[in-house]
Order: sequence, then structure tokens, then C-alpha cells
Amino acid sequence: MSSATEDAGGDEAPDLRCQLDCVQGMVDALSSVRWKRHQDAVLELSEHGIVLIVEETGCLQAKVYLKRELFLVYEYAAEGRPRLGLSLGLFVDSLNTFSVPGHNSIIEILYPGPDMQLLLKSVGSLDACFYAEIRTRIPDTISGDYNFQHAGNTPVSFTVKSAVLKEAIDDLEWPGSSIQILLQPDPPSVTFRGEGHGDLQIEFFYYANIDLLIAFQCDRRISYRYKYKFLHATTSNITTSVLKENRGSKVSIGRGGMLKIQHLVSVARSGMQHAYSDAGGLHQPSRIAYIEFFVKPEEDESPINDS
Amino acid sequence: MKFKAFLTQDGVHLLDKRFLPALDKVGRICHVYLTPDHAMFLHNFLGGAAGGGGVECVAQFDKDLLFRDYRIASANADRIAFAVDVPLLHRALRSALTIHAQSLAGPSAAAAVDIQIKLVKKLPAGSRSSAPFLTFETKGARSAVVQDVPISKPLSRADVAELQASLDAAQDLPQTLVQVPDLSQLQSLVDRLKNVGDLLTVSITQYGDLHLQVSTTLITVGSEFRKLRVLGAHAEPPVGDQNLSARTRTEMAIQRGEALSVQVSMKHLAKSLQCHLAKPDCAFYGIAPHGACLTVIFQFFIPGTRLTDKSISFYCRLPVLDPGSS
Repeated sequence: MSSATEDAGGDEAPDLRCQLDCVQGMVDALSSVRWKRHQDAVLELSEHGIVLIVEETGCLQAKVYLKRELFLVYEYAAEGRPRLGLSLGLFVDSLNTFSVPGHNSIIEILYPGPDMQLLLKSVGSLDACFYAEIRTRIPDTISGDYNFQHAGNTPVSFTVKSAVLKEAIDDLEWPGSSIQILLQPDPPSVTFRGEGHGDLQIEFFYYANIDLLIAFQCDRRISYRYKYKFLHATTSNITTSVLKENRGSKVSIGRGGMLKIQHLVSVARSGMQHAYSDAGGLHQPSRIAYIEFFVKPEEDESPINDS
Repeated sequence: MKFKAFLTQDGVHLLDKRFLPALDKVGRICHVYLTPDHAMFLHNFLGGAAGGGGVECVAQFDKDLLFRDYRIASANADRIAFAVDVPLLHRALRSALTIHAQSLAGPSAAAAVDIQIKLVKKLPAGSRSSAPFLTFETKGARSAVVQDVPISKPLSRADVAELQASLDAAQDLPQTLVQVPDLSQLQSLVDRLKNVGDLLTVSITQYGDLHLQVSTTLITVGSEFRKLRVLGAHAEPPVGDQNLSARTRTEMAIQRGEALSVQVSMKHLAKSLQCHLAKPDCAFYGIAPHGACLTVIFQFFIPGTRLTDKSISFYCRLPVLDPGSS
């Protein structure tokens, strides 16, 4: 691996040099927050890993957390937390070229290149090599008002199978426009209600559907409305691997009705027989990328009940 | 002008399962060019309105591979060419095959069932002037089916001469050809690169490197395959070049005159890759002298051997785009 950094300009160590053996997992995770074709994203690098942030003006924010444990090598040498802006679509599309089937190469990510590019290249195979240089720009400021805080003493949240959540939200497309989410402790249940072209109500009862609703935490009745198109973005591009594994997705409602939806995406190489699978004691639980969506409630109405 | 022949078993199989699906992907309309020795399917070989700028594709078969009792006669040195709709041709062949299969299942299975094709002129229903057709006649055990595939008017003497001339011009081989290891892998790579940009730079070195690169103002994505088998002009890579990046290495090889590089349309390359539906045994890429075009040559082995089957010749020529015009 001594020749791995030959492309880096200058003698100084780059801010970040990391290697990953599961490109597909990273593609899956990043694709989950790609709700439209042209999207600008911000990458934030730190000693803990890489966070990718995408925003839709004022209402929706998504974050993908790629912890350093996901990487085979993670060398971080920057001061502070460098941030760079790039096109999410191009980033995903170029990562995608690395995950050609039957070609399980390891990918190296390097930042910055001689012209502040994000550099990707495959390592390990001498006879075939893939590379990409993505131009970065100075990122827009990330709005801080997605700061999620629990409203009361007990967090209000529920965990539901990812496939079920997606199905429910897909079904709500028909009434459209505005969706009310209602949690109440007695009987413990979650209700999605859409009123628009027609009415549709989807209810999950905690005791009735214990394998659907995996966890439920709510000590008071709480209800907010969210724009359907933002709610839809939180599940519309979830990759099939998430739906197949069907872990839970956690939905929480915080102060001011801020909705937080978390998904888990597996970043494990399929078929772990590869020699690298044991490197650095990487075991399954640490090979998860976390995805968080934050949706602000509709503002025009005061909360229906937030006692 | 006369043409009449029986399709051989191998011929039917080659066309139905391999070549017609591939040719269909290259382009819906192709020219069939029959000579006393060969049968050819040509795409984009007549310049002007029909041809101009597409992927030139040639599938040439020895007449004995596809046909028996091959009879051809024309005033133009016994050569006939016409345009045909590939999916229609395929449909006719398929249904002829179905009749064939039914009769094989029947009591008189031993009787050989033949598919005869011939060129005819007929009066189509509801029309006053006769039109040319390629007719498939299939005689099954209990039924006989005749299918007429409409074709264009046979090409004029001048057009056939032009077709032959551009075929002859396509004969000059690239100096260096590299063997592509895995066509389906390359196809899936190109499918992914398609999302990044429309123009692809292809470089081929005499060391056996194939380098593909897409570059836009925002991004450069590339892929290099090394140590491929080389046919033709071959050179030893300079010492120490494995420590350089793919791009530097390619640039240096071009400066030394040991590599050529051209820009082609991603769409054209994707199309040429569809030719792997014909299940070639290997494929070679090369750049014609002076960067005239990117040539892809598919090779077929005689079944059960590693010897090249000389009775099939299948290749594509991709037009080179002027880098200035993009």
C-alpha cells in the first residue's frame, strides 16, 4: 500500500485517506437520501468518520453517517472539521462505477487532491483500475435549526419495520398534500392520516401488531402535520437491502414537532468469505451506516395537541 | 434477380439465438448483402441519410454456414442487397421454427423439415403495385406456412458498388488490438459510466492497456484495464510505469507514439457492446490508423475448439467524434 498515496499533491498528509471494501453498501446508503436528480450535498470529515448532509430548502434535511469503523483504513489528519460541497448524483454515480459485479476491489478515498478534488480510486488489483476525480466547492452553510431535541421528559418515538413504514407512506400518496401523524399512549398506537382528495387513515396498534411496531414510547397524545412530499422523501429511495433485511426504522417526534426518521443500512460485503473480512476485527454490528431524516412540521397550523 | 436457399440447422440457430438479437440492438433496419460466397448483415454502411454517423456493424457468414442449395443470380455480378427490418425477420424465423418444432414432435419426426427462403415479388393485399419480399416457406408434418417479410427495393448497381466500397475501406485493421477480458463486465461498467457523461475517451496502448475515461467540468471518471493480450504492434511498457497514475501513463504512451486515443459517443459504445448477445468467444478493441475509428472485432471459435471460426466475421466500427465539436 506504499504506492497508494503517490497521486496526492505535496508532501503533507492529506486531510483524509480511507479505504472501503464495500462500495455497494456505501452506494446504497447514499442513494437513500437521493430524492431528486440534481442535489447538492455537503461532506463533513472528522476523526469519527464521514457525514454527508443534504437539504431541501427549509423543510427537510438528511444525514448519512459513515463511521470510521466501516473503513478498512481511516487516516484523518485535518484540523477542525473540513467541509466540502459536491453533487450527490455525481458522487453516487461515480462510486457506482467501482462496484462492477465480479470485481470486488477496494476503493480508496482521498481528500483533498491537488485542486481540492475528492479523489477515488480502486486499489489492490494491478490489472484493472478505476478512478474518479470529483470537483468540490465551498459548501453552503448547513442550517443549524434541525437540532433535534426531545420535547418532554420521555422521548416520543416508535420503531417500525422499514418495509412497513415505506408501504404506509407510499399508500398515503393518494390523499397526498398533508399528512397528520398522531401518537397516543392509550391505546398505544400510531396513526397516519391523510386528508386531501380523500381520507386515508393507517393505524398501528402496539399490542395488536407487536411484530410490526417493534417499540413504542409515548406518554402523552401528540400530533403534527407534515408535507407529504417531504415525508415521501424519507422512504422513497431506501434501497432494497434495507427492505430485505427489514430492520426497524425509528421515528421520533421532538420539540416543535420536528420529525426524525432513522434507517440502518448494512455496509457489509456480501459473502464475507473474502480475506479482508476479518481485517481490523470488523464484525457485522459495526458495519452499519446510519441515515437520519429531519422533517419540519407544517407551520401554518398550531399543533393540534402538544400538552 | 434470383435468390433461393435452405437454411441450415446451424444457420437457424446462429441467427435466432445469437445474431438477430444482437443486430436488433445495433439498429432496427439493416442491409442484407448476398454475394455468391457470403451473406452479410450491414448496419450504417450506406452513407448519406441512412448511414451517416452511426455504429458501422458487419456480420459476415460463409454462405455454407447459413445455407444449403444456395442459388443466387443477378445482373450485378450475382450480388443482391436490400434493407430489412430486423425484428420482423426474427419474428418470421421464430414462427418458422415453431412449425419445425411441432412437426418434430409429430409422428413423422424422421422426415427432414426445411425452411426455405427466397426473394419474391408479390402483389400485397390492397395494393396495385407489386412489392419485394423475403419469403420463408416452412413445411411441417401437417401444415406448410409461408411468411413474407417485406424488404426494400433491391439496391441499385451504384448503391451496391458503394456498399462494397465502404466494406473494402473498412478492411484496414488497427495496428494494435487488445483483447477485452470480460464483455459483460465492460458492459456493466459502461452502463454506469453513462450516468456520468456522454463522451468517452478510449485509449489503447501497445503494452496492452485499455483506458476509458469520461470527463466533464465537474468530474472525471476512468477505468484502466492492463496487461491485456495484444495482437499486432506490441511494445514493452517502460520500466517503473506501474507507479504512475493511469492518466499519466496513457499520456506518456501517446507522446512516445505507443498509444492512440479517440473520443467516441457513450451511446455508440453501449450499442457495440450489445453485440455480445451474439455470444462471441472473445472481443478485441483497436483504434484504426490516424484515429479514424474505434474498431471492435468479435471472434468465434469452432465449437469445441480454441480455433477461430473463419466462416464468421463480426465487427463494429465506431465513428470518432471531433473533440473540438463537443
